[in-house]
Amino acid sequence: MWSFFIRRLLQMIPTLLGVILLVFFLFNWVGGDPAYILAGKLASAEDIANIRHQLGIDQPWYWQLWIFIQQIATGNFGDSWATHESVAHIFKTRLTPSLVLLIPMMIIETVTAVCLALLVAVFRRSMIDQSLMVVSTIMMSISLLVYIIVGQYLFASLLGWFPVKGWSDSLWRDLTYYAPLPIFLGLLVSIAPSLRLYRTFILDEINQDYVRTARAKGLSESRVLFKHVLKNAAIPILTNLLMGLPGLLTGAFLLERFFAIPGIGREIILAVERSDFPIIKAATVYVAIATMLANLLADLLYRYLDPRVNLK
Amino acid sequence: MINHLRQLVISSSVLFAVLVTVYPAHSAPLKVLHLSLSAAETGFDPVMTSDLNTAAIEEQLFEPLLTYDYLARPVKLIPRLAAQMPVISDQGKTWLFTLKKGVYFSPDPVFKGKLREVTAQDVVYTIMRFMDPKNRSPYKFLVDHKILGLNALADQARQTGHFNYNAKVEGLEVVGPYQLKIRLTGTDYNFGHAMAQPMFGIVAREVIEAYQGDTASHPVGTGPYMIGQWIRSASINLVKNPNYRDERWHFTSQDPQDQKIVQAMTGKRIPQIDQVDIQIVEEAQSAYLSFLKGELDVFGVPGQFAPNVLSGTELKPKLQQQGIQLQRLVDPAIAYYFINIEDPQLGGMALSRIALRRAILMSLNDEEMIRVIYKGQAFREAFPIPQGVEGHDANYQSLIHYNPQEANDLLDKMGYKKAKDGYRRQIDGGPLYVKYTTTLTSQDRDLEEIMKKSLDRIGIRFVSEKLKFPEIIRAERQCRVAMRLSAWIADYPDGDNFMQLWYGPHTHENNASCFQDAKWDKLYEKTLALPNSPERDQLYRQLARLLEINGVTKVSTSHIRNVLIQPWVVGYKAHPILPSTWAYIDLIPEGERH
Repeated sequence: MWSFFIRRLLQMIPTLLGVILLVFFLFNWVGGDPAYILAGKLASAEDIANIRHQLGIDQPWYWQLWIFIQQIATGNFGDSWATHESVAHIFKTRLTPSLVLLIPMMIIETVTAVCLALLVAVFRRSMIDQSLMVVSTIMMSISLLVYIIVGQYLFASLLGWFPVKGWSDSLWRDLTYYAPLPIFLGLLVSIAPSLRLYRTFILDEINQDYVRTARAKGLSESRVLFKHVLKNAAIPILTNLLMGLPGLLTGAFLLERFFAIPGIGREIILAVERSDFPIIKAATVYVAIATMLANLLADLLYRYLDPRVNLK
Repeated sequence: MINHLRQLVISSSVLFAVLVTVYPAHSAPLKVLHLSLSAAETGFDPVMTSDLNTAAIEEQLFEPLLTYDYLARPVKLIPRLAAQMPVISDQGKTWLFTLKKGVYFSPDPVFKGKLREVTAQDVVYTIMRFMDPKNRSPYKFLVDHKILGLNALADQARQTGHFNYNAKVEGLEVVGPYQLKIRLTGTDYNFGHAMAQPMFGIVAREVIEAYQGDTASHPVGTGPYMIGQWIRSASINLVKNPNYRDERWHFTSQDPQDQKIVQAMTGKRIPQIDQVDIQIVEEAQSAYLSFLKGELDVFGVPGQFAPNVLSGTELKPKLQQQGIQLQRLVDPAIAYYFINIEDPQLGGMALSRIALRRAILMSLNDEEMIRVIYKGQAFREAFPIPQGVEGHDANYQSLIHYNPQEANDLLDKMGYKKAKDGYRRQIDGGPLYVKYTTTLTSQDRDLEEIMKKSLDRIGIRFVSEKLKFPEIIRAERQCRVAMRLSAWIADYPDGDNFMQLWYGPHTHENNASCFQDAKWDKLYEKTLALPNSPERDQLYRQLARLLEINGVTKVSTSHIRNVLIQPWVVGYKAHPILPSTWAYIDLIPEGERH
């Protein structure tokens, strides 16, 4: 187990190097030169050269790459080129609003989707199953943008059940006052695909021989479902869940933008628009590391959930 | 038990009575102005500011020497930190500013609890900061090469890596604690406009040095407000600056429409509003719905959103019934097409190329643009200087009208023949196309369609080049953009700010058409030596005409700004230049609103 863990950690190094190279060369070749924007409207060639020098983008590529690697090693990505705010502070302050939105969404989505998947699996091919699948397909087919525009108008403006937008510095107020509507609208889109996926996982298990054996032994349907089926279906469900974890670091851009939530998704998109390389670099590296760690965690949990899984 | 309860009731009553008596002022509700901005602030160090949203907030935190009269139209410079208007001498080369006495910075721990008065030395320091290469100020151009001795200091800083703020600068002479003489390198009657920009809000050296590296997070100015609570990229709460001087609302106007404002506001202490609560709301729908719910007091209607709010030029009846007011004003900005004179396909000064460019410009349908892209919130503008800006000519008649037939005739006459595919070729038979540069936005996609239709009408092939905005700017500065619809908003309300867009030496800076013509440049240089006058206006007309004759540019449109105001906002008048005027307005307290 430990040798597996250490080996996987070591394997992350070449993967991360690949990510670093990809991000670095992609951004340097197609990312645009921020100096022309930062210089203002009437800048001279000298001003632009001065900015390029200060940002370090006039250095040879290998030197810029070395600085990038140093930044990753130290975790210090410097300051935003556009706002002069430190990248560490940007992530520290913008990640919390995104997590206030996304963690409840993830929890509610998973619990609801698993419960509904079990329900439709029990009543498979019944009216309930078919209706839920049709509704899921319709819900999946509608863009999040439509849910947001209609939902914001209907629930916040017309009915006045929620605030139209806003955010505070109080976690409790954000969670109970500002976040519920965006969470609800986000769930309208995210539950349906999870439900369909989890239903498939559960149906795969329900058709296994061990389920038939359990039923033949006279076990109750609930015991069969919750003790046997759900435990075995948990592995792919968990994989899906863990693969979604790195997404927490990139926020929910549309929800953040429409509900004026100062989250990291909005910040990353803004950074791309402004060619604000320090923020883009940090976001990409963080997401890459989070993805690798989530993969590792998934492997370790497989072993925990199913002792037959051999970690080599 | 009963005794205990009685005791409690009596004690509570006494306490309540004492509180009401001792703190009667606290019972008055705070006046809070609720606003939204469409983009996040970028930090509050004026020298580093380049965006209008941040400038709007800085306008309230910091004070430059001059400002613009709140009511006067066309806009008029008036003193702000200066006690009176500067004395200009030596043909616009020397500017003597006298500061108001008793102006104090807002409280900050750096001042250790003491009042810190603004002096002429602070103005010198503020101006010097624009030339410090470390600050990479986007508004450096307002003083760059303009003040005697200042550029030498900047050159020295580039070599040594250190800007010497203790150095004496010939052009920045402190005459006394409240008096400063600025000597310019040449005649410049627009220098006063530079000194009215919010970016030139005066800062204290000790504050900047104390927060070195993080000055954008510690704004300390002399403005009517200071930062209360700040959640970055989400909300900014401004509170009254307790050190703000006793300044009274004093504006006058002859305009009958302003009399209600004058009557309601004259003599009131500035500012009347206790707090300004600003939220960053990027989506127009979110801001508009908030406004309808009364969560916002003022809402600037984005152009594309106008059909939801307006019927023609009037507010929709439903909004009128709610008492919402609409204010419309012309933005001091132009949208203009330029064609790159160095472009291998369209450039050059040969007669055939000039005719080609004029034909292209004649094919462009501005009315369609106004209808489709700007949703009617723009109008055809012919002159390169927009309305409300000194030097504008409302009667100017453009030579270049939308006329595809005439454009086709011109091209036929010059020998740009159509090939079998229906598209024209160069006179020598080579390929002919217009490479048009745009961004990836949906508005630019619509624009491309209109452009393609226009060029198809005259048989010229349209080729689209999509770039990110920073890349467009770089390409323009390298004279690599063949043609584009660009826009320019006044940094200051003087024609020079627009005419310099075609000045030869500004090629590779902001002369995107890369037009370099000795005759034009000479005429332009003449305008620089003149104050706003009929003589200068005449020169501007000649310059505009030369641009058309050479097929360099076609001014397309000017835009209308629509602002919605809640009925409880008092004294609001949209200003074309000042990015914010919150200190000049008032609110009816919540309890008195009907």
